Amino acid sequence: MRRAIVLVSIAVSVALLAYATSVAGALGNLGLETRALAKMFLTLAYNPGLRELTAMSPEAVTAIVWDFRGVDTLYETVVFYMAITAALAIYRGAPKVGGGGVGLSLIVRVVTRLLIPINIAVAVSIAVHGHLTPGGGFQAGVALAVISVLLAVVYSAKSFGKVGVDESKVIALESAGFVAIAAVVFAPLIYSSVTGAQAYLMQNYVKANSEFSFPVEVLGQLISGTLIWFNVAEFLAVSFSFFIIFMLLSLREEVVRPALVGEESGS
Amino acid sequence: MDVTLALLALFSTIGLVFTYLAVSERDLVRAVIYSAVQSSAYAVLLYLLRAPDIVLVYLPVAVGLYPAALLFLIGKTEKVDGG
Repeated sequence: MRRAIVLVSIAVSVALLAYATSVAGALGNLGLETRALAKMFLTLAYNPGLRELTAMSPEAVTAIVWDFRGVDTLYETVVFYMAITAALAIYRGAPKVGGGGVGLSLIVRVVTRLLIPINIAVAVSIAVHGHLTPGGGFQAGVALAVISVLLAVVYSAKSFGKVGVDESKVIALESAGFVAIAAVVFAPLIYSSVTGAQAYLMQNYVKANSEFSFPVEVLGQLISGTLIWFNVAEFLAVSFSFFIIFMLLSLREEVVRPALVGEESGS
Repeated sequence: MDVTLALLALFSTIGLVFTYLAVSERDLVRAVIYSAVQSSAYAVLLYLLRAPDIVLVYLPVAVGLYPAALLFLIGKTEKVDGG
């Protein structure tokens, strides 16, 4: 009976999805027809002729995420930061990460050692090219955070201490990312209070009644104003947030439990 | 276009099969691995549907971080579903 319910519900949801994507054309016939809203974003994402409206980024998704709907992404980041802070608060007083376990076999450890530099290179390139090619800060952050899982599983939890990663350093880097995002958001406010000119929070380029603008290019390289700074800062914040969470999760229960129950049991 | 549709059908079928295996499997560790295979198939679907940004965030989360979080959790409970 239970099997039948599972099979029927899967069949029904697949049929509904197939109907929605093909016959009903919810995706616009698999993206062959471009809707008006999409056309607007594609026109404005990179358009040097419309400097007051464009995000100056050939990567439309990043242009939308950090410019057209930038405040939305900012608040997502704030929610993420609060969630990480809450997790850290639960683990307060937990002993330092380390001790116990020798990790997996030599073959796995050597292969992982070769993969980690490649992983770092890919993550950094996803972050700094986030305004040019698919990707961005969050994508790069989770790509880098996979290293923490590799370290915990392949080399065991004590490897964090061995390679010089400790909790306070990771939290410092994570916070640096969030502070950098705030700095980019408030930069127009500082400009405005120093010069007296009008500027908007999270402003990227010149607007109809504001001259404030982040540089579009540095040494001939397109950096798309605030977008590269947001991507790099989000990269730091997200990667090291996940890093600290996986460091704490890899602690053994019997090591953590005394610290977690310490206060209510009065010890 | 026809190749795209055929690949979409192929990978969604793979995803469907592994979803069913993950739901019906009693050994939780194997269920997590089935779920990761299903996620890989979905990553290909997202790429075919022209969402490379989502692929970049979906792959590390669905194949790396999410199974790892589940495995840490399973490590703190029993390996086999008792329900």
